[in-house]
Amino acid sequence: MIIRFKFSRRGPVRYLGHLDMMRYFQKVVMKAGVSARYSEGFHPHQLMSFAYPLGVGMETDGDYMDLEMEDGNDPETVMDELNAVMNEGVKISAAVALKDNAENAMAAVSAATYELIIDCGAPEEGRKVIKAAVSEMLASDTIMAETKKSSKNIRPGIFALDIEPEENVNDQIKISMFLSSGSKLNVRPADLFDTLLTMPSVAGSGLSFRLSLLRRLEIFGLTEDGRNVPLDHADVL
Amino acid sequence: MIVKAEDRKLALTHEILMSIDKPSRYTGGEPNSVMKDPDKTKVRFVMCFPDVYEIGMSHLGIQILYGMFNSWEDVWCERVYSPWTDLDKIMRDRKIPLFSLESQRPVKDADFLGITIQYEMCYTNILQILDLADIPFYSKDRTDADPIVIGGGPCIYNTEPIADFFDIFYIGEGEVRYRELLDLYEECREAGIGREEFLKRAVAIEGIYVPSLYDVTYDENMRFVSMEPKYDFVPARIKKQLVKDMNEAFYPTAPVVPFIRATQDRAVIEVQRGCIRNCRFCQAGQIYKPVRERSVDYLLDHAKAILKNTGYEELSLSSLSTSDYTGLKRLLEELIDYCSQKKINISLPSLRIDAFSLDVMNKVQDIKKSSVTFAPEAGSQRMRNVINKGLTKEDILNGAEMAFRGGWNKVKLYFMLGLPFEEHEDAEAIAVLCNDIAKVYFDTVPKEERKGSVQITASSSFFVPKPFTAFQWAPMNKPEEFLEKAKITKAAVRAQLNQKRISYHYHDCGTTIIEGVLARGDRRLSASIEYVYRHGAIFDAWTETFSYENWIKAFEETGVDYEDYIFRTRPDDEEFPWDFIDSGVRKEFLLREWKNASMAKKSSNCREQCMGCGCTGFGCGVCVE
Ligand code: SF4
Ligand code: SF4
Repeated sequence: MIIRFKFSRRGPVRYLGHLDMMRYFQKVVMKAGVSARYSEGFHPHQLMSFAYPLGVGMETDGDYMDLEMEDGNDPETVMDELNAVMNEGVKISAAVALKDNAENAMAAVSAATYELIIDCGAPEEGRKVIKAAVSEMLASDTIMAETKKSSKNIRPGIFALDIEPEENVNDQIKISMFLSSGSKLNVRPADLFDTLLTMPSVAGSGLSFRLSLLRRLEIFGLTEDGRNVPLDHADVL
Repeated sequence: MIVKAEDRKLALTHEILMSIDKPSRYTGGEPNSVMKDPDKTKVRFVMCFPDVYEIGMSHLGIQILYGMFNSWEDVWCERVYSPWTDLDKIMRDRKIPLFSLESQRPVKDADFLGITIQYEMCYTNILQILDLADIPFYSKDRTDADPIVIGGGPCIYNTEPIADFFDIFYIGEGEVRYRELLDLYEECREAGIGREEFLKRAVAIEGIYVPSLYDVTYDENMRFVSMEPKYDFVPARIKKQLVKDMNEAFYPTAPVVPFIRATQDRAVIEVQRGCIRNCRFCQAGQIYKPVRERSVDYLLDHAKAILKNTGYEELSLSSLSTSDYTGLKRLLEELIDYCSQKKINISLPSLRIDAFSLDVMNKVQDIKKSSVTFAPEAGSQRMRNVINKGLTKEDILNGAEMAFRGGWNKVKLYFMLGLPFEEHEDAEAIAVLCNDIAKVYFDTVPKEERKGSVQITASSSFFVPKPFTAFQWAPMNKPEEFLEKAKITKAAVRAQLNQKRISYHYHDCGTTIIEGVLARGDRRLSASIEYVYRHGAIFDAWTETFSYENWIKAFEETGVDYEDYIFRTRPDDEEFPWDFIDSGVRKEFLLREWKNASMAKKSSNCREQCMGCGCTGFGCGVCVE
């Protein structure tokens, strides 16, 4: 059976790369002594996969890991056993068994939500500038994101983009976003942030902005009838 | 209050962390790292391995001391490693003080900075650590606002080139005297006694060497003459400390597990300490004498506990010569049994190749991918007698034959060049030995059974004479002699019938020369080390950052005739700067071995027959078996 775990990672552990995160979970599984299944061969390894590699520096409240286990395991019990041996800022918040024909987590990804905290020397003025930039972005039909390799229009992949009202966040500038992910159109939050800084109102402001925290909130999959639902929702299992 | 690992405020900003390679080298919080309440501990001890995180985290000694210190309620032990060059630059530019991984607080505020010194080429990194921490380089310039800087590890068997940079050296195995030292420290602090007086009192503890309490004299050629205590309460000789009963000593069952892949990314059990073999070039073989074993039961219990507490998927056995461990058969049988149930790999140390080891290797490795390893160290039998390496050509060829029959076809061989009394034909003999191994393959394995063909990989490093070995009197080869010998070996390999099956590599010789100078140098070298550091040297153990020219210039500028330390044969009666250390092994014994070497005369090992090296005084290990 395959169990899908939803996990968060917060704090200093966010500076791990994807492969190290995987190695971390493998050790957690070993420590907890839960009955994972292994590949054949001289150096058997656990059959573990992730929905969406977590970038270095990114926090998450809603990432997913699939683990093949011996049949008959109770997802919640396994979750508790794994949580009992972790205290580094990683925590599993939900566990569900996949149906036999479920898509693997990576292939199922359709969208993700993020929040982003931006530092600025003059926060009050800065928030106005970012607010304007967000409006400019949403108003246009094409937004070209330049990466090292290519340039693509990410506008259709921005499902939502909001700036948090001031009263909720004190001095911080915080924006939240709902972005298309996966094989069709993948919008990376960092690319979006970089592109935001090229909007006319930012460029004209003379202020400088720095990303101080990037956090994924949830990863979604697409149901048969075209809704984006969290990856542990019964309709995408 | 104890701050949880996940709630710590990091010393580096998000922006900096995102701009450097492998930021989690600097963020701590790894599984089994220890957080304590600073208000409830009396001593903050920062332990440093002066190289990059992945190397430092692979070191067993720090894990032992870290676990032991943190098992004491009054002590909080933290870690720090050398910031890699990318972060080093940022820290200098922005004046960010060096911080420890756990608390992320400045190292300068600690009570102790303990530096483990594993190889000479990290000496400039020691200065980097002090520099970034804003601690004066020289002990004499430090005040009560600085931590006590204490050094340990194998290089302290010649502390002198770095003696001025340290307040204390701890001579020997850390498990033994630290409690006493920390008790004294706490006592002094409560009584309002400062560092100077503390250091004076510390010398009453066995194994504690305070370099500033000695005067060194040199002759008109600037050669070391003697080192005398400045006061009568300072001991003239410092006795190496060692663990008498390895089954009683502290061993960590919950070592810190690095998040990122370290060089040694596995659980480790140390089966024994020391070595019975008396190879004449080998410092480790002498300074860890006598060999002391751990019981099989102790090791099995610890291995299981470590695996349970770390989640490692691989276990390895550590010691200088694991084949000599008397309980090896039972240990491996039980471990293989346990680990295969738990899907844990066993990574074997290089064992002496025989029926038993091949059987074990067959069980835990993929024969197609693995190789069998021999370390004859020298190509000819005469040279192996000179260095007292017991391995004969017959052993090697028989071992290879057995391995080929068992299905292996990769052989690795390790040699040294530039050994004392070495001739050109000894360099050629390396090639002949490789060729003979290939021949054994073709004679042993019928054509139709050959899968791929035999691959022989030979590599040679250049020999560096080390203190506390029979070769401490020996001259080193000059760079051109090293290279000439490597060329001879290379040409000889090409001339062999089976040359296509043999690949030969040799190591760089620039590092070797500098290592040689630092290994047998004296206190005058601290100026050279400071000079070379101030002119940009750092991470000298790394080829991409090492500069030979820089070092040679530093010796010239600081008036040090470096050739005098390495290229001459030292007279039998020369006083060495490291003679004040009582390692247990007597100088007369080493001298006798030096003479035996010159006659290519073999000696025994500790189990065949005691050679009376002087270690019986410790009353433990193989000496009393
Ligand atoms: S076998 Fe020889 S080289 Fe190896 S540790 Fe022992 S003395 Fe040193
Ligand atoms: S005293 Fe004898 S047995 Fe003990 S270490 Fe020395 S040579 Fe070996």
